[in-house]
Amino acid sequence: MKQIARRDKLKIYGDLLSILNEETSKDKVVLTRVQVRLNVPFDRLKTYITQLSGLGLIDDENSLKLTEKGKQYIKEYENVLDFMKRMGIAYQ
Amino acid sequence: MNPYDYQTFRIAYEVISAIICLVLVRFMIKPYQLTKESRYLGLPLGFGFLGATYALAAFIFYQPYFFGSTTIYLQLILRSFAFIFLVVTYYFSRQTADVGRKLWNTTLAILIIAFLTLFLPVIIPDIALPSYQLTSSFTRVFNLICIIYICAHTLRSHVEKPEPETIWIPFGYIFLAISQYLLIIFAVDESMAAWWSALGIRWVALAIFLIISCRSFYCFKRGD
Amino acid sequence: MYEVPRLAIEIASAILYFILVRYMIKPYGLTREERYLGLPLGFGFLGVAETILAIGIILPIHGIGTVSVVMRTFAFVFLAFTYYFSKKPSKNSRFAWIIILSSIIVGLTTWILSLVSAPLMTIGITTSFGIFLRILALVCLSYICIHTLRSHIKSLDPTTIWIPLGFILLAISQYSQLIRAADENYLYGVAFVGGLAARLIGLAVFLYVAYRTFYRATKRGGINEADRP
Repeated sequence: MKQIARRDKLKIYGDLLSILNEETSKDKVVLTRVQVRLNVPFDRLKTYITQLSGLGLIDDENSLKLTEKGKQYIKEYENVLDFMKRMGIAYQ
Repeated sequence: MNPYDYQTFRIAYEVISAIICLVLVRFMIKPYQLTKESRYLGLPLGFGFLGATYALAAFIFYQPYFFGSTTIYLQLILRSFAFIFLVVTYYFSRQTADVGRKLWNTTLAILIIAFLTLFLPVIIPDIALPSYQLTSSFTRVFNLICIIYICAHTLRSHVEKPEPETIWIPFGYIFLAISQYLLIIFAVDESMAAWWSALGIRWVALAIFLIISCRSFYCFKRGD
Repeated sequence: MYEVPRLAIEIASAILYFILVRYMIKPYGLTREERYLGLPLGFGFLGVAETILAIGIILPIHGIGTVSVVMRTFAFVFLAFTYYFSKKPSKNSRFAWIIILSSIIVGLTTWILSLVSAPLMTIGITTSFGIFLRILALVCLSYICIHTLRSHIKSLDPTTIWIPLGFILLAISQYSQLIRAADENYLYGVAFVGGLAARLIGLAVFLYVAYRTFYRATKRGGINEADRP
């Protein structure tokens, strides 16, 4: 049986920010949809959101959205991942 | 006729190659900066060493007797290590983060020791070194094997998950391999045709790497 | 000194080319379209070129190498035109392909007849003309590589990557021959050995593709047949 690669925190944070970025561009962010897409338990999702908020990457006061710093980070994150894919280097 | 007949051209060529490599290092360090995983350090180290060999080649052409004849051996060692770093990076990129990190740290330590062991006889005077032609032929064959491994690795990644963006990197390395192959022909047969074309093809390879990097970080991508 | 291994490699290459002709004729056999004739013709000419070279090693006939180089170049021209016309299935393109095919065959026949009758045969090929022919072959191969690579990028089928790689290896082989012809100061150098190795690996790639296409497909078909009630 193929072993599922364990995601590290960086990958989870990156994926969460990417999902939030996509969801905010559509309409209001629904946490359960984010949880399903990220594939983590709800309590852990809340922890990640608190941690990312503490880092100043997301704003969770009124509604959940990415800050300017978060947007910059996600752009860099996606660029680097794209670069690694183009270079033939897997990130797992 | 030998490459020293075109001193000015060769210096300019090597300096430009070194600058391109330096620019590439700037991009290659980004995966490490993002992930902080030491197994991705091989990319900037590999391209950095490659750039250093080009800079050293330019210096050798400018001042052939400044450091003595051993500098050309140093250039060979540096280039081989550049390709080893790249091979090791590609090899460990397939491992999971934990295994990759541990193995990479051990490998890096071994490589540094090996580099110093090879480097010392070159800088210590009055140590008999093997013939340059023989050493250069062997190291170039070794470099070629390393690049072929990287070609196979990147091609495998592409075949496993075919995407238009991932096809260019194996071709970049294929051109680098052809350039090394032509340098072997030059080293053994002293063919000037091979030497000239090796220089041309090396730039094609470096241009491919540069385009890949620029497209990832600066240019508009599909769907933007 | 190296005549025996060289003879063996040339004969092996010729056999591999002729085996490939057997597969390359299948698109024409199925569609009956002339534009697919270039594939078996190209690989067939390559096989003939290697056979002539092998004969030249056994019987030292002066100028036999010339015929082989010309044949090989024509073979790559055939292949390049086949790929060029493979994307244009119109009446005009069909007409153009027949004209080109006829011109190539007339050109090749005239060249061989002139070689046999004229004293050129005794002189052999001039270096610059030999280089020109090899450059022409290399240009054709580069075109084929780009064409097949573009097709691969469009379809993104993992099985289509091997054909451009096979042609790249043939191009490296031709390039090595070009270097050898341009320098003229060594006979059995690295360029020579490397060229032969690249050619053999390239042929192995083509054979692998043909095997996977026809035998794996048959095997799959066989399983399906067996599954039927």
